[in-house]
Amino acid sequence: MEILKCQGVRKVYGDQNNPVVALDGVDLSVNKGEFVAIVGASGSGKSTLLHILGSVDKPTSGSVIVEGTDLSSLNPRQAAIFRRRKVGLVYQFYNLIPTLTVRKNILMPLSLDRKKPNQEYLEQVVSSLGLSEKLEAMPNQLSGGQQQRVAIARSLIYRPTLLLADEPTGNLDQKNSREIMDMLKLSNRNLDQTILLITHDEKVALEAERIITIEDGRILSDEKRR
Amino acid sequence: MWKEYSSGYIKNNRSASLSVVLATGISALLLSLLCGIFYNLWKYEVESIQLEEGGWQSRIAGQFDPEELEKMGNFSGIEKAVVYEKEGREAGVELYFSDYGRVLEDTPRIAALAGVSSEKITYNHSLLALYFIRDPADPAPRLLFPLFLLIITLASLSLIVIIHSAFAVSMNDRIHQFGIFSSIGATPRQIRTCLLQEAAALCAIPVLAGNLLGIGISAGILHMANILLRSVVSGRHESVFGYHPLVLGVTLFATVLTIWISAWLPARKLSRLSPLEAIKNTGELQLKRKRSSRILGFLFGVEGELAGNALKAQRRALRTGSLSLICSFMAFTIMQCFFATSNISTRESYFQRYQQVWDVMVTVKDTKAEAFGETGEIQGLPGVESAIVYQRAGVKAMILEEELSEEMKAFGGFAHASESQVTKTDGGWLVNAPLVILDDTSFLTYCGQVGGTPVLNGAVVLNQIRDVTNPDFRHPQYMPYVKGEKGVSLLTQPGQGGKIVEIPVLSYTRQEPALREEYATLDYYELVHVIPVSLWKEIRGQLGEANPDLNICILGEDSADREELDRLQKEVGELLGSTYILESENRIQEYEVNEKQILGLQVVFGGFCVLLAIIGIGNVFSNTLSFVRQRKREFARYLSVGVTPEGIRKMFCIEALVVAGRPILITLPLAVLAVWFMLRMSYLGVEEFLAEAPLGPIVIFLLAIVGSVALAYNLGWRNLRRVSLAEVLRDDTML
Repeated sequence: MEILKCQGVRKVYGDQNNPVVALDGVDLSVNKGEFVAIVGASGSGKSTLLHILGSVDKPTSGSVIVEGTDLSSLNPRQAAIFRRRKVGLVYQFYNLIPTLTVRKNILMPLSLDRKKPNQEYLEQVVSSLGLSEKLEAMPNQLSGGQQQRVAIARSLIYRPTLLLADEPTGNLDQKNSREIMDMLKLSNRNLDQTILLITHDEKVALEAERIITIEDGRILSDEKRR
Repeated sequence: MWKEYSSGYIKNNRSASLSVVLATGISALLLSLLCGIFYNLWKYEVESIQLEEGGWQSRIAGQFDPEELEKMGNFSGIEKAVVYEKEGREAGVELYFSDYGRVLEDTPRIAALAGVSSEKITYNHSLLALYFIRDPADPAPRLLFPLFLLIITLASLSLIVIIHSAFAVSMNDRIHQFGIFSSIGATPRQIRTCLLQEAAALCAIPVLAGNLLGIGISAGILHMANILLRSVVSGRHESVFGYHPLVLGVTLFATVLTIWISAWLPARKLSRLSPLEAIKNTGELQLKRKRSSRILGFLFGVEGELAGNALKAQRRALRTGSLSLICSFMAFTIMQCFFATSNISTRESYFQRYQQVWDVMVTVKDTKAEAFGETGEIQGLPGVESAIVYQRAGVKAMILEEELSEEMKAFGGFAHASESQVTKTDGGWLVNAPLVILDDTSFLTYCGQVGGTPVLNGAVVLNQIRDVTNPDFRHPQYMPYVKGEKGVSLLTQPGQGGKIVEIPVLSYTRQEPALREEYATLDYYELVHVIPVSLWKEIRGQLGEANPDLNICILGEDSADREELDRLQKEVGELLGSTYILESENRIQEYEVNEKQILGLQVVFGGFCVLLAIIGIGNVFSNTLSFVRQRKREFARYLSVGVTPEGIRKMFCIEALVVAGRPILITLPLAVLAVWFMLRMSYLGVEEFLAEAPLGPIVIFLLAIVGSVALAYNLGWRNLRRVSLAEVLRDDTML
């Protein structure tokens, strides 16, 4: 089942005199449960694509439809609610809220909707990410790998349509990178979670079942590995 | 190298340097101004007391031979011992101490050395109170000076915190930079030296200029106050500007120490961080340990919790603002309540109490009642309803045990009296008996009012005594002093071996003569005798001298206004001025002067409160205007997990509410406590205070704070909402 469809997505920064084309007519379709890696060199436009898919940014032209919602038509409030419910974002530098405990960080998307968490699911996510003992800690009391696991837990708590990960292992050592990738694969397999992962690390990309290569804002290749 | 780096940093970061320079300069100026004005107010009070009462700290009544005087003068800590006189006779010795702290302890010792009992000691309470020396026996509350000192201390602390915060915020921003230096081999000492050097370069001129300007402005304010008060209060002792080197020393020391500590703290913090940790320091708001904002979370949901935690993380940056706003609102509220209480108290105990008693009061210097011949002329002046010419004298009365009223006996008689008030004799007690010597006409009128025989050969005895165990001076409970059956009173001159004079008592009454006088305030056991001047002429030879000055209490017609009273005062002046030395005042004028003085004080202290509020609001503005730089990453995070722009706005509103609401929440219980204390000290009822509670000014002040904070956060929000979420998330330099 197709849950993401991009058609002719174009993103231009700067003014008319000095336009910088970050994305140039990207067409993309992702089905539910897919684990997609988007690879490309620095400045190729992969992060811009991820921001647009996560409704953090808007395309200059073209359409992005996630589960029937056209992201370009959303106002800031609707975009925020979309991010909260439909998208889980994982960044290279974790982006945890430093003033909240791990538990509150994880539950943040639900709290914004004044929803109570499903305890069983919370425990499942937390234990599978090895965070059961760290729930009352503050983010700055955790290692980089632990913080990234919290960010993944937060992105999964709402059972989002899409999990978007921007260089999630970029700031971690090899051991922690391995663990994070295992966890993403586990959530993809066990929870049927659709994942779009951005990386410039080929080894990381090889963990995905589909690899899309971007160069100069265009899709260069789209390869299914299995 | 460091010199070049520092000067380069200062040049290239003009706005950060300027904010430090301005904060330091303005704070030093205000600190110096506050200390200068306070010092001069204190100095003026001391001078006024020295002029009115003398500069002595304690007095010992009695006659002393030169040897005793020399012993007193040579007592350790005594600067000088001076003989003072009353009515041309030696009355005792005035002691001047070099160390005021020893006055209460040493005076009784000196009295014992001279063989005098401690009852003969009098302390200059009002002067000693200005040096924070309180005699437990002093009944007056003397709260004004401590209150002013409290306000000044709060204001000064707030200013010190401003200097500290301005520096601390700027220095914390630098930790990242110094981490880089540290990583390439700079030692903590080198970094500390650099920071202190920078602090000195930035603050030396503002601190000196601020202090000098503060001194200059305080001198200017004092000069203006002199000019303004000259037109309002004639004959007022003018203040002469002074600035004790110690005040300058304390101000400079406080400023320099604050700056040094503020510069040293980040250096110390840096020395405890590894270079990597220092480089990673982004100055982002963090909470070191788990904190929760349950109340805000409960009231406003997740936005409330986020706002509460953000405020906790911003505590350092907002410290000045919070403290200044809290101090200003608290000082303003307590000041308003203090003046309201003081107003009610003065009005009830003075202006209202004596409204139907006097309109013009004239003190005729060094004049004896029996020698004053102008009574008839004054009483005959147009517009005069009554004019009582009177003088007071202090004598003793003998009271026999069987004379005491049953109520007085049931109460314990003189069990609670001290030796200075009551002396036990063979047949009874000797008590103080102030004589109020009225002109004959007024005495006859008074006799008529109290139902006594209108003759001039006896006294009317004010037969009442307060419940001495109840210190409530506003609602005293009286009981009859003596039975009032004897018909005569036995009077004697104070001192030992005086002759007893027996005078007839025409009436025992509880109705005081209509004079602006207070009876039995310090000595509850006084038995006041009102006598005519004709009788005084006969007995004064046996009872000693009356007080040196004569008083004339004039009551004008009912509808007399200020103009009428001014005219009356002038006419009395013209009538007596050529023969006597006069001092006169009129009730409405005194009321107006009192009002103006209170208003003046309110303006001065209100001004300080406003100044503090401006400092606080300025800090809130500088904080919210730097939101884009400081907090865009934080808000980007919120947005990325799905907080709506309205949610962020709600957070802003909650933060503003807390910043503006905190002063109210902290001040209210303290103000209630302070008012309760003031009401207790002045024996006023809660309902009396509530009827005149200064809610208007307090609410206006509060609304000004709330409005300003709301505006500051609104501007912060406007700046922040322009920031693109995608740009922030892309900007890794923020991480």
